[in-house]
Amino acid sequence: MPRRSQRRAARREAIFAWTLVAPVILWLGATLVYPLVSSLALSVENVRIIGSAGRFVGLDNYLSILSASAFWLALARSVVWVVGNAVVQTVLAMAAALILEQTFPGVRVARTWIVVTWIVPTIVIVIVWRWLLSTSGGMINPLLIGLGVINEPVGFFSTATSAMTSLVLINSWRWFPFIAVMLLAGLQRIPADLYEAAAIDGASRFARFRRITLPLLEPALFVLTVIGTLLSFNVFDIVWLITGGGPADATTTLPILIYRTAFKGYRLSEAAAMSVVAMLLLMGLAMLAVRTLAPREEGG
Amino acid sequence: MRRGLGVNLALAGGLAFLAVVALLPFWWVISSSIKATNEIVSTTPTMIPHSFTLEHFAKLLTSSDYPRFLINSLAVSAASMAATVVLAVLSGYAFFRLRFAGRDFLYRAILLAYAFPAIVVLVPLYGMMSAARLIDNLFALVIVNVTFAVPFAIWMMRAFLAAVPLEIEEAARLDGASRLTILWRIIVPLIAPGIASVAIFAFISSWTEYLFASVLIQSDANKTIPVGLAGIIGQYQVDWGLMLAGATITTLPVVVLFFFIGRYFVAGLTAGAIK
Repeated sequence: MPRRSQRRAARREAIFAWTLVAPVILWLGATLVYPLVSSLALSVENVRIIGSAGRFVGLDNYLSILSASAFWLALARSVVWVVGNAVVQTVLAMAAALILEQTFPGVRVARTWIVVTWIVPTIVIVIVWRWLLSTSGGMINPLLIGLGVINEPVGFFSTATSAMTSLVLINSWRWFPFIAVMLLAGLQRIPADLYEAAAIDGASRFARFRRITLPLLEPALFVLTVIGTLLSFNVFDIVWLITGGGPADATTTLPILIYRTAFKGYRLSEAAAMSVVAMLLLMGLAMLAVRTLAPREEGG
Repeated sequence: MRRGLGVNLALAGGLAFLAVVALLPFWWVISSSIKATNEIVSTTPTMIPHSFTLEHFAKLLTSSDYPRFLINSLAVSAASMAATVVLAVLSGYAFFRLRFAGRDFLYRAILLAYAFPAIVVLVPLYGMMSAARLIDNLFALVIVNVTFAVPFAIWMMRAFLAAVPLEIEEAARLDGASRLTILWRIIVPLIAPGIASVAIFAFISSWTEYLFASVLIQSDANKTIPVGLAGIIGQYQVDWGLMLAGATITTLPVVVLFFFIGRYFVAGLTAGAIK
């Protein structure tokens, strides 16, 4: 008897739970899963503009994008973009997290407001940096000249290398505080007595960082790197609104190429095929990372 | 642990550097929005304004479409925020407080959606919206914004829900309260800081959204701030005074929101990061 009523209670709990999650599941199903499937369907047709009927063309779109250099070049730029961002962001975030872990007057305010670059809308960031880096009134050129780094004003978005570098720095500037806050949470979980014991044993600050902080932070760093990679691959607006993919396609990453193919070149099916390839690559990469590089959890 | 003088100096230097990197660009922009145009584009920039004018703000608010963009953005962000909060609270409660078959699988699938490349569904979503006659309609933006905010919002609810003791719910159940009553009367007030941080996250991500707004909205009358301002930049010679005033006003709502609930928001971020 009690067991039966228990089972009934469990079933009622499950029904209630499903009622609560149903709206989210339906919402995401309609706006993510269904579009994903129709993306696959679109990629084997030859639709050029939305609403027009397409004909089944098999793998033609895949063959044509994979045999054109535009796709591979954009993919290579995406790799440069993702790796550049990962390196710059992680280093800056680690430094910021180590600083914010200390106690000093105003530390709570600092720990909150550090994320200010992340809460400000992208369009504002675009305006800020387009202006600061511009040659008419921008602050950065005079600043660098004053510091003796450069002799005359440079166009930060005028050459392939400088445009990509500037964009990586701007995007990293936007995202590093967010990662720093996450890393700070990881740092605060490391028991203080570990450091104290090491200090008593005469370990230097650097040795403590290498032998205690880094290994214990590894799981958090790993998760952040994987998520950060996916998120920075997705970045579209900062690149599009600052360089538009230029100069001469030097900053045309995959999202930019897909957007242009679909909405400027009106080749929707080709754009869909690129999206599918991009997603397979990302998923494969993420899975590979989780399988082979994930740090083992030790004891909990 | 005690710190030596050298470490303290390094810390102060690091802090100063962080403050400069994070805040100086904003100071330049905000302080320059009240400078006269010739000072803004001068080749010898000034840290502190030498001139004072509100003409850029006046121009932005009276002779550009900015006020309309602002109203559209406020409407879209408020609606996206409300829908995200409701969905995240309901499903968060189910994910973190109830047992049901398929729970872990669904939760993981939703987490996966957080890092999902939006560009992949841009084309098909555009097709769906056009079939549903929602192109150039602000509702389309709300639908999309919720999709991309809700996975992270659910994740943020986790730590806040885990902090509510189970005994409180059990006691209420013994008193005969229904599950919905418990959720609404007991859980919701206890996780108010979590709800605040989810709300600010949803508002911010909607406030900043450009990609979908740029293809789903077509008329000037329905543009949100990111698309509207980007359109103004694109026109002929950039009017930097106007843009700086636009940047300042666009930053204001999120900074004000953050001033009041930023503490909870960062707590939500870090609490979620702890297992």
